[in-house]
Amino acid sequence: MKVYQRLAAAFKAEGTTHVFGIMGDGNMYWMHELDKLGGVKMLEVRHEGAGLGMADGWARVTRTPGIATATCGPGVTQLATALVTAARAQSPLVAFCGEYPSNDDEYNQRLDQAAFAAGCETGFIRINTPDGADDAVRKAFYLAKLESRPIMLSAPMDVQQMTFEDDDEPYKPSSTLLKPRAVQPDPAALEQAADIIAGSKKPVIVVGRGAKWSGAGDAVLKLGERLGALIATTLMAKTWLSESEYHVGVSGTYGTRTAMQLFEEADCVIAVGASMNRYTTEHGYLYPKARFVHVDAKPHLMMSGGRSADCYVQADARAGVEALESLLAKRSVKMTGYRTPEVKKRLPYQYEDRTEFPIEPGTVDPREIVLALDELVPADLNLFTGSGATAGFSNIMFRRQRPVVLASHFFGCIGQMLPAAIGGVVATGNKPAILVDGDASVMMHLAEFETMVRYGVPLLVVCMNNQALGSEYYKLDAHKMKADLATIPTPDLGAVATSFGGRGRLVRSVEDVRAAAKEWLAKPGPMMLDVRISRSVVTLPYRRVHYGRDE
Amino acid sequence: MIEVSERIEVPSAPRIVWNLLSDPRAVVDCVPGAALGEQLEDGSYDATLTVKFGPAKVTFRARVALELDSAAMTGQVSSRGKDDQGGTRVKAAMTFKVVEGEAPGSSVIPIDAQVEISGRLASLVESGANLVVKRMTGEFSERLAAKVAGATFVTSDK
Repeated sequence: MKVYQRLAAAFKAEGTTHVFGIMGDGNMYWMHELDKLGGVKMLEVRHEGAGLGMADGWARVTRTPGIATATCGPGVTQLATALVTAARAQSPLVAFCGEYPSNDDEYNQRLDQAAFAAGCETGFIRINTPDGADDAVRKAFYLAKLESRPIMLSAPMDVQQMTFEDDDEPYKPSSTLLKPRAVQPDPAALEQAADIIAGSKKPVIVVGRGAKWSGAGDAVLKLGERLGALIATTLMAKTWLSESEYHVGVSGTYGTRTAMQLFEEADCVIAVGASMNRYTTEHGYLYPKARFVHVDAKPHLMMSGGRSADCYVQADARAGVEALESLLAKRSVKMTGYRTPEVKKRLPYQYEDRTEFPIEPGTVDPREIVLALDELVPADLNLFTGSGATAGFSNIMFRRQRPVVLASHFFGCIGQMLPAAIGGVVATGNKPAILVDGDASVMMHLAEFETMVRYGVPLLVVCMNNQALGSEYYKLDAHKMKADLATIPTPDLGAVATSFGGRGRLVRSVEDVRAAAKEWLAKPGPMMLDVRISRSVVTLPYRRVHYGRDE
Repeated sequence: MIEVSERIEVPSAPRIVWNLLSDPRAVVDCVPGAALGEQLEDGSYDATLTVKFGPAKVTFRARVALELDSAAMTGQVSSRGKDDQGGTRVKAAMTFKVVEGEAPGSSVIPIDAQVEISGRLASLVESGANLVVKRMTGEFSERLAAKVAGATFVTSDK
């Protein structure tokens, strides 16, 4: 047996079912063997970085390692932005990459892939010898899961062709190294947390992805009930737990004005599975009077500004909140907190944005698009939101709770969400979903729409097309510079989608958006809506940040 | 650096206006969100300033020093402060003077201010801070104008 055959068998034994990437001579033997073994679907994409982005989307949705592949050298350098994005998203991911032959220093596609991976915040493991093949794969999966980040498994082309001797020994998967166990809270830390909470009058619970992943939902709702707490989420857990009447949406820049006014009164913030970074707390300014209790499975987390919570409880989110709840119950703590008729009356209207803007002829108010889609697309379908200026509409105004609501944001780059959404749809067994993103973002990896068509990925791509680099357009305008420098026309993306073999429309009214969305819902498949939106409508965050408005 | 220039015209004689402006508490009263604390040994004051950047409020604690030249009717106010979270610093310098207006018995108060915000908030508010400071200066001028106009009556009543 050759090393590449063993490597393929090891990936399969690790549970690999889908691989995203582009074939080259550095990975084609491995891919060929995976195909031969069966049960592994290879998705050929149009850009290695997009393939890795799909694996990232897979990982964010399933919390199991996404698998990407690229050939040596130029295939690997294409991964850069997607790797950093996945690293920042803390996505478990294994990238199988070919590497130039270890016996040929002048090879055309040579690259110091270890240094490259380090620069991309990615773990690196090289298969140096045939005997090390099993260990290398096992360690790659182990580290991807343990450290929750991308790992590059680099396989020199000559080593791949060497003989693997122990082919009669079964491969031991990474799960044999580490069984996942929920971290239990320290009793002393819990007592201190309970003291802080019991001494407060206006508590806010901020839940993040960690809380969602650990299944802490019911425990959080129960704790919220006991404390009369407001429930807020990070952007990454957007709309989660919105069944609570006292849910106030996102804590942070994508928060509503009502939420921000309420947060200002908070004297205690209980953060659960949330990093409490500068975006969630607006550098701490959202909660000027609060003391912080921070529950997270990591040994410790520094909040925004190098600040530590008043009490840090290292615990699995669910275990931590359940323990806290029962301790407070034992102490007979029961509070009204924020849960008064006055507050309740304010919340249903918090998302309304009635500021009027002149709408240019032939364009739509982007806010109406979001409201229409949120209402039309059933709550069991997933939502992906993109980056750039238009995210300021989606990330505030989409309100319905859905199994998966994923925002872009990581590494602050555009273009990464179309691949991530494709990976997310594939990860959910091709369950239909929608992606709402801007035109510069969609154009960046537009070729992947063709990948969607080849694999019949039922993703509705709603392109909020203002024919501009929106963020820069508004920033230049706010600085009284030449905003037109940031305008770039696009072709009719509906027609492009059609010529790629999918469905597509160019639309200029909400009615047309509704009609097209209904058509897609009746028969989900790869489809693109090129919605020409008004540039004069400014997002709430930009109104605040760039134009100093209190809205 | 945010630079603002304002010019207030008031229908009162320069000396009357000056008498009012040379009272630190009266001036600080006109700054929206500001409150003057104790006077310190060196003559400067502790002050707090609450500013709204969008829906979020930020409170700065500042040290304010005034230099007044009564003969020339000019004043300089300098202040430096830090916010409650400790992540943002603000430095402001303002000069003003009272000169005769075109109409007899009226005054003009030219105000020039430079405000520098640095640290965490700077990135958060970006260009919006400019507008916030300009808006605050506008409001300051309005309040000052109202106060000075009011003072005219009080003075003439006496």
